[in-house]
Amino acid sequence: MRQDDDTRKDGTGLGRRQFFRTLGGGTAAAAAAVASVPLGTTEAQAYDPGSAETRSRYRETDHVKAFYRTNGYETLKK
Amino acid sequence: MARMKFLCDADRCIECNACVTACKNEHEVPWGINRRRVITLNDGKPGERSVSMACMHCTDAPCAAVCPVNCFYTTADAVVLHSKDLCIGCGYCFYACPFGAPQYPRVGNFGSRGKMDKCTYCSGGPEVDLSVAEYEKYGSNRLAEGKLPLCAEMCSTKSLLAGDGEMIAQIYKERVIKRGYGSGAWGWKTAYRETIAI
Repeated sequence: MRQDDDTRKDGTGLGRRQFFRTLGGGTAAAAAAVASVPLGTTEAQAYDPGSAETRSRYRETDHVKAFYRTNGYETLKK
Repeated sequence: MARMKFLCDADRCIECNACVTACKNEHEVPWGINRRRVITLNDGKPGERSVSMACMHCTDAPCAAVCPVNCFYTTADAVVLHSKDLCIGCGYCFYACPFGAPQYPRVGNFGSRGKMDKCTYCSGGPEVDLSVAEYEKYGSNRLAEGKLPLCAEMCSTKSLLAGDGEMIAQIYKERVIKRGYGSGAWGWKTAYRETIAI
């Protein structure tokens, strides 16, 4: 005897049409949950580097002075 | 406030590529990336000229202007740096940069390229100075150590200058005053005769 689609059972015990009805209901519930999340929480924020990141690191140390002296040895040394 | 600049004295560059090698070694730059390159024009012909190129740390940097996630920032030393945590690997900066400075570790589209990498003027990144995290992402931070970029410091012919813009401009100006501008002052015409036009 041929079973109707609604009553046919597969290995999981759920009919084909019943399966899609169940899935459809679940999807609608998930969509409603996503829609309820406020959009403001995912808004992109521009990168604002702090003063510690942008502070000056260059110092005219003896090492740096030696570089200037050796590169300008022909001209800067009088 | 000192503004950090690179200046390559093309009359002195001999295309030894030591600056390229030094940079890769100092920062353990990944395969496929060169933060600095030597460009040679008229290769093998009279008038050949080489120039060492890297990020020029532009005042109004086009890479920063096109970045969709604003990952670039300019330090008080006028060095243009970026955050690899924010970079999405879109490649816009690569197309915007007139010097080809931004590089990617892999070939691909958008995120599959990996994080952009470029010259940091040996001054690290947004992480804590001289930290392991900073070294792994951006390489060494020589500026914080009181030094200058290694590429310039180890240039054998003193072609590549780095440091305070005012100071290196003064060095270059006085070189030009003393020797003249152009390769003629360095024996070029002796080697290739007076008839060579540069």
